[in-house]
Amino acid sequence: MKTILAVDDSATMREMVTFVLESAGYRVIEAEDGAQGLDRASAQNVDLVITDQNMPNMDGLTLVRSLRELRDYKSVPILLLTTESSDSMKSQGRAAGATGWLVKPFDPATLLEVVQKVLR
Amino acid sequence: MKTRPNGSTDASDAAKAADLLVTVASTLNERLAVTADELARSQALLREASEELMTAFRGAADRIVAAQRGASAASEKSDEYGIVLDHLYRACQHLQSHDLVNQLIDAQKLRVDKMREKLAQALALAAPPVVRPDQAEPWIERSRAMLDCIVAGIQQIDQDARAPLGDKHRAGSVDLF
Repeated sequence: MKTILAVDDSATMREMVTFVLESAGYRVIEAEDGAQGLDRASAQNVDLVITDQNMPNMDGLTLVRSLRELRDYKSVPILLLTTESSDSMKSQGRAAGATGWLVKPFDPATLLEVVQKVLR
Repeated sequence: MKTRPNGSTDASDAAKAADLLVTVASTLNERLAVTADELARSQALLREASEELMTAFRGAADRIVAAQRGASAASEKSDEYGIVLDHLYRACQHLQSHDLVNQLIDAQKLRVDKMREKLAQALALAAPPVVRPDQAEPWIERSRAMLDCIVAGIQQIDQDARAPLGDKHRAGSVDLF
């Protein structure tokens, strides 16, 4: 079973992502911000990271950069799931090493399609 | 200010103007404190409501999925469960708007807090007793310093308060790099 790390400071958003992914058979672990996400990812290897951008302590882009510095996360897919939709932010995400950028509110079916695609 | 033969009248007018500025700044600061409190309460209510709704939706969806597994794939009931589940997913999708609203409130809170900080600084300038209170100039200087502080607050109000655009056309969009 693939393990996915969902990072979002909103408990509702985390629960929503978890709900969608677990119903499709994935195992989900959660983190409340980038710093906690980095701790969780360092403690346990995950197959995919889905992170929000605007969070306290550490934002999504910083989390992406920090994960890419870890040997185990050089090629693990990382998706930004955020309300940010500007092209400049997306460019920053790409430069940081993100695999993709999804703009909230997301369609559960689309999220699952993207997850399946990047985990293939 | 007009020059008058009597210097003490000028000083009295200047002192009144400075006092008026203090009243305006402190009243505005009090109103902004109420606004900050109301924004914080709105955010807490929104968070609580969205968490409760999400828990309820998830509970209902889990039950439906379990019932769907129990029903034979070709049965009418199974179709019905699928339709209900679609409705729940759609409701969940719209529930995500709370995240955007939450960030918009955060941006407003930051604006209010920054303005309150500057108003407090302006009020602090009015705290020490005026040296030579019988002359107009010290009162005018005090008023000017307070106004500069308030204007600086207005000018920096948008700094760091970056509200998400919430572009409807891009909502749900996917870019794979």
